Amino acid sequence: MKRKSGLYRLFAYTFLCLFAIINVIPLFWMVVNSFKTEQEYAAGPFSFPKTLQFANYARAWEVANMNVYFLNSIIITFASLIITVLLGALAAYFLSRFKFKLRGVTYGAFLLGMLVPIHATLIPIFLIMQKLRLLDTYWSLILPYTAFHLSLTVFILEGFMRSFPKDLEESGVMDGAGVYRIFWSIILPITRPALATVIILNFIYNWNEYLFALVLITSTELKTLPLGLANFVGIETASLTLQMAALTIALIPILIFYLLLQKQLVNGMTAGAVKG
Amino acid sequence: MQTLRGTKFAIFLGLFPALVIYLGIAIVPIGLSLYYSLMNWNGIGSMTFAGFDNYMKILTDDTFWLSVKNNVIIMVTGLIGQLPLGLLLALLLNRGLKGSGIFRTIGFMPVVISSVMVSLIWGMVYNTEYGMLNNLLSMIGLDGWRRNWLGDSTWSMLSISIAYIWQNCGLYMVIFLAALQNIPDEVNEAAELDGATGWRRTLRITIPMIRGTIMVGVVYSISNSFRVFDLIQILTGGGPAHQTEVMTIYMYNSAFINMRYGYGSAVSILVLLFSLIVISVINRFGREKEV
Repeated sequence: MKRKSGLYRLFAYTFLCLFAIINVIPLFWMVVNSFKTEQEYAAGPFSFPKTLQFANYARAWEVANMNVYFLNSIIITFASLIITVLLGALAAYFLSRFKFKLRGVTYGAFLLGMLVPIHATLIPIFLIMQKLRLLDTYWSLILPYTAFHLSLTVFILEGFMRSFPKDLEESGVMDGAGVYRIFWSIILPITRPALATVIILNFIYNWNEYLFALVLITSTELKTLPLGLANFVGIETASLTLQMAALTIALIPILIFYLLLQKQLVNGMTAGAVKG
Repeated sequence: MQTLRGTKFAIFLGLFPALVIYLGIAIVPIGLSLYYSLMNWNGIGSMTFAGFDNYMKILTDDTFWLSVKNNVIIMVTGLIGQLPLGLLLALLLNRGLKGSGIFRTIGFMPVVISSVMVSLIWGMVYNTEYGMLNNLLSMIGLDGWRRNWLGDSTWSMLSISIAYIWQNCGLYMVIFLAALQNIPDEVNEAAELDGATGWRRTLRITIPMIRGTIMVGVVYSISNSFRVFDLIQILTGGGPAHQTEVMTIYMYNSAFINMRYGYGSAVSILVLLFSLIVISVINRFGREKEV
């Protein structure tokens, strides 16, 4: 099977390298130029900076309100993530470990959510949030993020919990523990690998989300990172290097996150796409 | 577990919060969309029943059909760009070449970065005056090739498609790679014994083996193309003069810029309908071929 001719190898590497270069070049170009002065950039967009202009970063952080956007993104991402995973795990526990009349229907209803495009719900959600007076608050994003990621969360956790042997809970029942006690101290701890996947997926989806934020958030103090960045670049058109510095600031944490948790991210996002 | 006292109530209590949030915010709104789509409403005054007026108006609006055309462009370029490229990359990476891990990491990277970031970066690449692409062209002496990539209607949709393919290709690469790695070794060994090697084996044996996954990729790619929003909203906002508008942008503009909630809801229902029709046709087509 591993019979490879030199010619094949040459072709394969050339193609792969070309692909890699195309993937990396826009990011690399942006990061390099973010360290230049505006004049230096205009004079030569492909040269390396003579001195690294860290001042660009200080200014971008300031002008782009990065601290506000980062904080909002962190709050909204983690609040939604915690609620989604807790409620999802609880639902998955009852769906996987108990028999009851509406089990099939309930599970099916949760799966349906993976097919729902958010655009088809955008206007009603906007109007619901308006009616609940939640428009332009953290909750206006936390609730939709939770609702739309419960499906995948329940799906992954239910599948995992279902695989546990049937007599797992018995020791707990013997000790007279209630169903919630069993959930918390027996089931949840051994669900950890699946929980990790679900947490990572929820994190990346919430962190990157744009459309809901665009529609449901209007005040600058509440904007998330993607929304804030998009606005900043739209307004701050004069200085491209400043834009680049702001984008690099936002890019670095996500790249680190990706490189650290690559395996779970790749597997989880692929599964999420294929199932959805 | 049925022996536990109060279990029924406990089950109800455990499922209730998740169900309320999920049904209330992800499922009920679809029904509401359908309802609003039959209404004439600007969000402030009173709602009046309009029957199929909204739908009729949309279907006779040239701008809407322009957005449908652009959706088709995104769908087709997505299909012929992402899938063959993803498959080729997966085939190359499946051969156990040295360093394939690095290529996989780099290939999947754009999928993890937010679409906002991808759009903003490509906006800089395409920038007419200071962008990477035009400067690169000048540098290699192709000054005549400089274009206003996003403003020139001959190029704008193609430019958007390239950014779209760049963003998503890695996902298909990984999906196909996982399927290729699931092909049992015996299949390849049997093929070897039969004398099928190289591209012949790839075409006759490997690709048919992962047919199911390729179909999943096709369906996912199509449904994804109907959902595209962030990329275009940020790169061009649908302009110039609606030239790059897709249906989701058209919906967003009617509902949240022009405050026509009923009209916008009708568009969102049409988007849903169109994508369901295309996907069911593809599914049928795929199954017939299997028989």
